Amino acid sequence: MTQAEIKLCSLLLQEHFGEIVEKIGVHLIRTGSQPLRVIAHDTGTSLDQVKKALCVLIQHNLVIYQVHKRGVVEYEAQCSRVLRMLRYPRYIYTAKTLYSDTGELIVEELLLNGKMTMSAVVKKVADRLTETMEDGKTMDYAEVSNTFMRLADTHFVQRCPWVPATENSDPGPLPPAPILVISEKDMYLVPKLSLIGKGKRRRSSDEDATGEPKAKRTKHSTDNKEPIPDDGIYWQANLDRFHQHFRDQAIVSAVANRMDQTSSEIVRTMLRMSEITTPSAAPFTQPLSSNEIFRSLPVGYNISKQVLDQYLTLLADDPLEFVGKSGDSGGGMYVINLHKALGSLATATLESVVQERFGSRCARIFRLVLQKKHLEQKQVEDLAMIPAKEAKDMLYKMLSGNFISLQEIPKTPDHAPSRTFYLYTVNILSAARMLLHRCYKSIANLIERRQFETKENKRLLEKSQRVEAIIASMQATGAEEAQLQEIEEMITAPERQQLETLKRNVNKLDASEIQVDETIFLLESYIESTMKRQ
Amino acid sequence: MAGNKGRGRAAYTFNIEAVGFSRGEKLPDVVLKPPPMFPDTHYKPVPLKAGEGEDYMLALKQELRETMKRMPYYIERPEEKQDIERYSKRYMKAYKEEWIPDWRRLPREMMPRKKCKKAGPKSEKAKDTSKGVSLTNTADVLKKIEELEKRGDGEKSDEENEEKEGGKEKSKEGDEEDDDDAVEQEEYDEEEQEEENDYINSYFEDGDDFGAESDDNMDEATY
Repeated sequence: MTQAEIKLCSLLLQEHFGEIVEKIGVHLIRTGSQPLRVIAHDTGTSLDQVKKALCVLIQHNLVIYQVHKRGVVEYEAQCSRVLRMLRYPRYIYTAKTLYSDTGELIVEELLLNGKMTMSAVVKKVADRLTETMEDGKTMDYAEVSNTFMRLADTHFVQRCPWVPATENSDPGPLPPAPILVISEKDMYLVPKLSLIGKGKRRRSSDEDATGEPKAKRTKHSTDNKEPIPDDGIYWQANLDRFHQHFRDQAIVSAVANRMDQTSSEIVRTMLRMSEITTPSAAPFTQPLSSNEIFRSLPVGYNISKQVLDQYLTLLADDPLEFVGKSGDSGGGMYVINLHKALGSLATATLESVVQERFGSRCARIFRLVLQKKHLEQKQVEDLAMIPAKEAKDMLYKMLSGNFISLQEIPKTPDHAPSRTFYLYTVNILSAARMLLHRCYKSIANLIERRQFETKENKRLLEKSQRVEAIIASMQATGAEEAQLQEIEEMITAPERQQLETLKRNVNKLDASEIQVDETIFLLESYIESTMKRQ
Repeated sequence: MAGNKGRGRAAYTFNIEAVGFSRGEKLPDVVLKPPPMFPDTHYKPVPLKAGEGEDYMLALKQELRETMKRMPYYIERPEEKQDIERYSKRYMKAYKEEWIPDWRRLPREMMPRKKCKKAGPKSEKAKDTSKGVSLTNTADVLKKIEELEKRGDGEKSDEENEEKEGGKEKSKEGDEEDDDDAVEQEEYDEEEQEEENDYINSYFEDGDDFGAESDDNMDEATY
């Protein structure tokens, strides 16, 4: 793992789980798989703390364990999974767009808790939804269960591997760690539960008859020993499926930008039809005939068959090659070239970065070299129609930024520089890797800056929170307008302005993090797809 | 060697035309220091995307950050003991839900084990013998001390031997326990540690931290 990735993982773990988990997590990422005692010894933390931290990390699928010979259990951290924590808001928002509030809360609970049983998820989500509904209305468990089943059917949530039940209770020595297995067909099997009930509204303490404080009451609720019907069957969010969805979204919006709305709808239909038939890592979808596509178009679209055929031909002839024609049966068989589409998206990202960083003339040279693959210095000047000095300058700027590389072609076996061709070329894979590395660094910088800003103004933030709490409690007990005014004036005008600035800055930094993560997604998908093909 | 055209005259080993400089042109200065830490940006960055989706994700992100801090998975840094323990601190502690992982899915060594002098070994038999040994051990030691007081230092070596044997047995149990990673949490058997008086050992050690752990029972009114 590169230093930038490790730094980013460290910041993410610290923000979400605290310093102890961060120390253990980063140590595991750095050193690879290690047994328990070595971790405790190397990090200098007590065994108890290490165990707690590892339990948390395993629960959230960030660390896996393996039994080695002689019964030693070794723990390994998954660095890429830690980086996914940046994308949680995007996953939750996607669930909201597809399955509305219920789906959103289900995915949120699963992501926050790592793994949960279905009954626990349904109960929690029903409670949360009931809170937001009007007085007197409650959320039924059945509705939440339905949404959960739909999520499982479309593969957005999946079962976690579990311990296979042994038939005989063998009295022999237990293995040091359970071996977890899962079979493909069981992964999305929803257990038959009859969850009956409604969400409970959390009552405020003065309505509660016994007047017990919250602490004791919660302890009671966890103590009730109802047998959980689906004990041991845990569910987790299926991040790969979400990634597939994001990739489809990116392709559809790219087609919409390049051509028009109708073609993007056609591409969306094709992708929807191939969701289940095509594995996510395939370079292109299964061939679809034009007749099938015509039948599966959304109901609102009434375009005739000929128009559809014309659109498909246009798409297939496009130089970007998103759609390809693979045969003529059934009115023409068309595929979507997923790998090429990801490549085009990554290339477009690179071009855009060059343009924003170095200017539009540099971008012109970059696109030229991309198109012609290999060019000499002289040819670049001539083809781009840019004066020699400037072209030279721009090429060297891009070269030092590692967007462009030099390819040497020797004329003689002794590689004498005077008798060697030097050609400029763009190696998309390595440029994508370089940009990805830069993105990780950017996000780490953004997070650090945000933490710095928050720390600088900590005193002010605390003060404003206290004032808000006072105002809220006074409003609840019914205070006059004048009193509220007085309390609000506790925060002076310049302080208010400072708070405004702080809020604006933190929002900007947060929004930047989310958008850099989108670029990271595109680049990572492209790199992954390329590596799988090799 | 041959090919030295003009002594002392600079000659490039490669074709300077290829790199783009014409002959005799002034070459750019050699860079003697690393590039600046914050270089000038001639082109300002593009404004961020704004829209309903982006706003919603932003709010979600900030909420998630706050929520994560309140979850039981967020392990706080262990606080150092302060010189003066403030009374109010005990009552202002934010309540956090306790989380118990599913032990069936985790390696056995993850279960927290209370470190106790007399560890619970694997089989029943060993437990009996150990109990027997421990009881006889303490009774023995007391007896020995009484005898010593009567007899004097001559018998000290015997006592030391007995203690050593007792110690060896204890350490053997300890090794067994470490090797096998016994799953059962040993019950702290108070009767094993009894010192022939009426007081329970865990009741009042030094008078510190009494009742600090049993916070959730403190809400009942004390009369």
